[in-house]
Amino acid sequence: MNAIELLAAVVLLPFLAAPLAAWSARFNRYAAAWVAGGVTLLALAIFSWLVVLHIGQMPVATSHAWIEAAGLSFGFRLDGLSLLFTGLILVIGLLIVIYARYYLSPNDSMGRFFAYMMMFMGAMLGVVLSENMINLVIFWELTSLASFLLISYWQHRKEARYGARLALAITGAGGLALLGGVLILGHIVGSYELTDVLASGDLIKNHELYAPALILILLGVFTKSAQFPFHFWLPNAMAAPTPVSAYLHSATMVKAGIFLLARFFPALAGTELWVIIVSTAGLITFLLGAYTALFRHDLKGLLAYSTISHLGLITLLFGFGTPLAAVAGIFHIINHATFKASLFMVAGIVDHETGTRDMRRLGGLVKYMPHTAALGMIAAMAMAGVPLFNGFLSKEMFFTESVRVAGDIGPVWLLPILVSLGGLLSVAYSLRFVHDTFFGKPDGDLPKKPHEPPGMMKRPVDLLVVLCLAVGILPALVVGPLLHIAVTGVLQAEPPYYSLSLWHGFNLPLLMSAIALIGGLLLYLNRAPIFRWHARSLAHLDARTVYNRLMELLMRTGAGVTGGLDNGRLSRIVVLTLVFSLIAGLVGYVQTVGLPGVQAALDRGTVEDSGDWVTWLGMLLIIIATLVTVIGHRQRLFALITMSVVGLGVAMIFARFSAPDLAMTQLSVEVVTMILLLLALFYLPQQSRRLSSPSRRWRDAGIATVIGGGIAALTYAIISRPFETISGYFLEHSVPGGGGTNVVNVILVDFRGYDTFGEITVLALAALGIFAMLHNLSLPSSRRDPFGRAWSDDPHPLMLRTFAQIILPLTLLFGIYVFLRGHNEPGGGFIAGLIVASALVAQYMAFGIENTERKLHLPIHGVIGAGILIALGTGLVAMVVGVPFLTSNTWHFTLSLLGEIHLASAIGFDLGVFLVVVGSTMLILLNLGRLTDHAIEHPDYASIEASPADSATRGGRDA
Amino acid sequence: MTLASLNLQPVLPEIVLAAMACLILLVDPFLPKRGPTVSFVLSILTLIALFVITLVQMDDSVRMSFGDMVVNDPMADLMKLVVYVLVAAVFVISRTYLRQRGIDKGEYYMLGLFGVLGMMITISSNHLLLLYLGLELMSLALYAMTAFKRDDGRASEAAMKYFVLGALASGILLYGMSLLYGVTGNLMLTAIAETVAAGEDSMALKAAVVLIVVGAVFKMGIAPFHMWLPDVYEGAPTAVTLYLAAAPKVAALALVMRLLVDGMGPLFYDWQPMLIVVAMLSMAIGNVVAIAQTSFKRMLTYSTIGHVGFILLGVLAGTNEGYAAALFYTIAYAVMTIGGFGIILLLARQGFEAESMDDLKGLNDRSPVMAFVFLLLMFSMAGIPFTFGFWAKLAVLQSIVGVGLWWLATFAVVTAVIGAFYYLRAVKMVYFDKPEDTSPIQADVNVRGVLILSGASMLIFGLYPTGLTALTAGAFGL
Repeated sequence: MNAIELLAAVVLLPFLAAPLAAWSARFNRYAAAWVAGGVTLLALAIFSWLVVLHIGQMPVATSHAWIEAAGLSFGFRLDGLSLLFTGLILVIGLLIVIYARYYLSPNDSMGRFFAYMMMFMGAMLGVVLSENMINLVIFWELTSLASFLLISYWQHRKEARYGARLALAITGAGGLALLGGVLILGHIVGSYELTDVLASGDLIKNHELYAPALILILLGVFTKSAQFPFHFWLPNAMAAPTPVSAYLHSATMVKAGIFLLARFFPALAGTELWVIIVSTAGLITFLLGAYTALFRHDLKGLLAYSTISHLGLITLLFGFGTPLAAVAGIFHIINHATFKASLFMVAGIVDHETGTRDMRRLGGLVKYMPHTAALGMIAAMAMAGVPLFNGFLSKEMFFTESVRVAGDIGPVWLLPILVSLGGLLSVAYSLRFVHDTFFGKPDGDLPKKPHEPPGMMKRPVDLLVVLCLAVGILPALVVGPLLHIAVTGVLQAEPPYYSLSLWHGFNLPLLMSAIALIGGLLLYLNRAPIFRWHARSLAHLDARTVYNRLMELLMRTGAGVTGGLDNGRLSRIVVLTLVFSLIAGLVGYVQTVGLPGVQAALDRGTVEDSGDWVTWLGMLLIIIATLVTVIGHRQRLFALITMSVVGLGVAMIFARFSAPDLAMTQLSVEVVTMILLLLALFYLPQQSRRLSSPSRRWRDAGIATVIGGGIAALTYAIISRPFETISGYFLEHSVPGGGGTNVVNVILVDFRGYDTFGEITVLALAALGIFAMLHNLSLPSSRRDPFGRAWSDDPHPLMLRTFAQIILPLTLLFGIYVFLRGHNEPGGGFIAGLIVASALVAQYMAFGIENTERKLHLPIHGVIGAGILIALGTGLVAMVVGVPFLTSNTWHFTLSLLGEIHLASAIGFDLGVFLVVVGSTMLILLNLGRLTDHAIEHPDYASIEASPADSATRGGRDA
Repeated sequence: MTLASLNLQPVLPEIVLAAMACLILLVDPFLPKRGPTVSFVLSILTLIALFVITLVQMDDSVRMSFGDMVVNDPMADLMKLVVYVLVAAVFVISRTYLRQRGIDKGEYYMLGLFGVLGMMITISSNHLLLLYLGLELMSLALYAMTAFKRDDGRASEAAMKYFVLGALASGILLYGMSLLYGVTGNLMLTAIAETVAAGEDSMALKAAVVLIVVGAVFKMGIAPFHMWLPDVYEGAPTAVTLYLAAAPKVAALALVMRLLVDGMGPLFYDWQPMLIVVAMLSMAIGNVVAIAQTSFKRMLTYSTIGHVGFILLGVLAGTNEGYAAALFYTIAYAVMTIGGFGIILLLARQGFEAESMDDLKGLNDRSPVMAFVFLLLMFSMAGIPFTFGFWAKLAVLQSIVGVGLWWLATFAVVTAVIGAFYYLRAVKMVYFDKPEDTSPIQADVNVRGVLILSGASMLIFGLYPTGLTALTAGAFGL
């Protein structure tokens, strides 16, 4: 097997173990731990073998294409840095598994715990071993997810749920930022493979997108590694079981951010921007964490803030951007992982055996658990940086580097003083950890009688503590080779010279260490007044409030936008839609032509036939009528009548510009629509209330004017362009092709016969649809008009009846005339249909519907059906003769008396149109009219509404 | 022109569908009143048949028919296949819900099929009028479906608003089209593109671009033209919302692609800035406003607005990679949406609409499987790795970073982060909160099956997106 397959096995094994652990726990709760431990051991063995095989030829990196379109390959990379982290993850992971096996209480689900744990381990291994950056981000997000699941392991606790959500929100968001950064990085380099990226440091740093890429990546780093100002999630994550805190939140996951800093060190580090952002964040975190840690009463809280502080220290080191600082950073990663994991486990043991983690209650435990106390003390001394422990060495290196770069960052004295202060604080909180827990006296009774934990619970800590000592005393021997390989991996080059010896002579860093140790001791001894001062002035400060405020703000903004934009009012939506379109149009327009161009556009072009004064008068009339309607539309009837002026005016314009057909159609349509509207008006109040404020009306009027003007301008621009008219073709072919001189009608019944056939079918269907909806429906109508007057008691006045009788034959005759001349002169089936229909409707209005129906026996449905069939038949006849559907033919013949008759077959088709129009119009209007009849005849309605005084007024409607 | 010269073979699916929809329309009234099982089965069979026909016809070539008015390119074929699957899933998942509310009528399936026909015409048109025809056919079906529960005031109001605003948008779109025709003298999209590419920089053309973009993004539901969406989605019966939210978005993408890319491709630099603005607004408004919602249905609606903003990013990249990413995202979105609104169907029962966020509480205690499906869906919507939605977001972001719009990508990521917040809140409610309603879930096997499929696809495409990426890339000749 080659290296890549083995590496893949290392990463994938824990993922496979996760479901296995969950499943095995069903049989025996400890089986899960065995599975987890076994798999970790196996992975460790494979990895060790791999390292032994390839130690000389690092970095090892290969990729297999996975999703090429996304630039994604599945590849792994093994170099010094990933070796170090993989080692940490697996070794500490193994120890934690052993520890957790004893830590978890019988009520906790082992399977779930170890499944999550294995999932996390796999994800974390994926992060450190990935070759492809997108892969890395994916595993990165998986670690956030696993952390979420592990923090919320005790789901019944509120703070666990809160902490988990907070952690996921912060780290998950950071992960997405990282994704953005990585995408930009990949765009700069042209590849997502780390090998290429790490080799293109200069290209990246000089690219214009360097700054955004760096900032996005650093957002990912800072959120994950709990750097200021994103540090607040980590203390809240302490709601997790202690093994999780030890593993994820001190040794591995929070180091992922640091890992990334180290990983991208050759590609991104060293610029001014890098130094400013990274070292500032690191320094603030270092000091803030150390300070806050001192005042935590919860053991794990103290450790959490101390972790934040140490992460800040490492970040600060990488922020210096020098190779030697990187060496110190890597070294401190190793040391911190060992002593902090042991401290967490010690804290876990204390919690496990005493039932509390509150240092104000704990005390004197050295008597009950001397072994644990010894472990705790050694690890704490390492944390404090006491000589002969591993923390001392890396802290010395840190101090040395701070002094070296001090001149570059602020005044030369500032940085050494600040880092010494940090060191001093860390000595103080380490002391507090040891003293408050193991010495002094407990405050009252502890929840449990303390005693030593099971032996196996201590073994992992033993091992780590031995490591602390071994590294502290024999650094070059124990950790030298590993450090060398890791640093080579970070720098992608041979590391600079550094010394791992314990003694460097009397120098400034040693003095700083001494100050820190003595100062820390003094601080701790005088802690009482300082604690009081802190509790009084600073304790309430919490970065979480910023987060909470932010969330609140977001919620409020959301609610605000909802209220402002989406209040559900149709008019608001319409206004906004139009206004946005208008803005878009204006912006586009001004951008295109510039402001001078606007003037030029207005000056250009005229419509050739601009009409005479009659036309203009007509247009003016229309405009005035519209305005009157808009302004005085409260009285609906008047508004309707004014509006009909508009329709008539339009007809006039059609007539003026040589479109008599259109004018006639418009005229008859206007009449029919008017009747329709009047029928609808019957059910509405005569006057409409003013629903909007005057300012709003003015605003709406303004918007309408601007939009109308814009559209008019556009229309003008289009119609004033030179164009090629198609009317020539129709004029030429009208007589030879369609046998008629009325081009409009020929188009309707011949050239576009298919369309017309479709249209009349739709018209018929629409009429039937309306019939189906209104049939048997009754609407209540008011007994009185809005002024309280009763309706006239004679619904069919004599005048109307008389006129209707006279008009009927005349109108019918006129209709037939219009129909017959249609093919050659203005007219045709459609117009004739409307004329005839209005004449018939007038009959119904004059004599009442029931009455007229009895007299006329007009089978309306039949008329419509006949119309369609006739039209279809005409078309089919053409097919029988052997020409395509609806091809027309013309005949000339002479009849005595009448003279020469010219007949086109299209007249049959036109007859169909005529019938359908008559039928549909009648059907619609009659059914609308009938609504009222039903209302009147409805007995329930009458009994409810009618008062004795007016019940008789409209009863005799048909009498 | 004779029938043979029309080359009807490529439009066989449309013909079959039209015939079947009319058949169902005719058959349905004569069936016994027990329920439209026959119509339902016929509809599903029709969709399966269409799927097979399109699959058989599908190849890499571009097939023109109806005098070049209809175009069947790989994009059209893929989109149609997706539409069939989505609509079939919606039909299956909706039945029980409709039956419990007494609106399980043949018209639902019939209107649904006519809607599909409209979508197919929109997807395949190479002609302004045909495009408009398809769009209106689809929209009319959607209006009618929204008002399907006639005695429900909220639904009627929603339908009324939808109709009025839809008509307004259609008007704007049509006006833009008429300007385009006025300037270019052509209705064929490909011919328009040629004329535009050769032609002068006309003001009327700009106006046409503006109006067409406004009309098109309105139909897509992009801010600031999104305001009809919440009312309509919330007001419509959930089964209809499901229909509205899924397949029509595919058609809307096709509309945008056909009009902007095919028809006005040479005007890229005119419409790209507009799309950038509306996409940013959409992502911001969608994601921020979603947080404030207490109704789950409304939250999903706003999340839709955010998602379509993302889809638009792919279009405005102006590259084939971008278009493929947009299509990929649309498919992912549609599948997620069916799952998301499907959860409401799962929790709803006779006389109870589970539309509030609170109804989600403690789903894990009531049905762990469904809770997990929900988790997958929400994670996918949030764009968490190894889910379908992650690849969708990634592809879109890559495409815009690829054309140098890194700041837009950053903005998009920020809105996605905000978005993640409310998806995770929903997950939290499902897993950690105590249920207010402990009755067992009544949903039948249809609902559960579709939901599990939808959840599973989040994982399947999350772990192995290559197949679908290849398909979407292939649709744009990559």
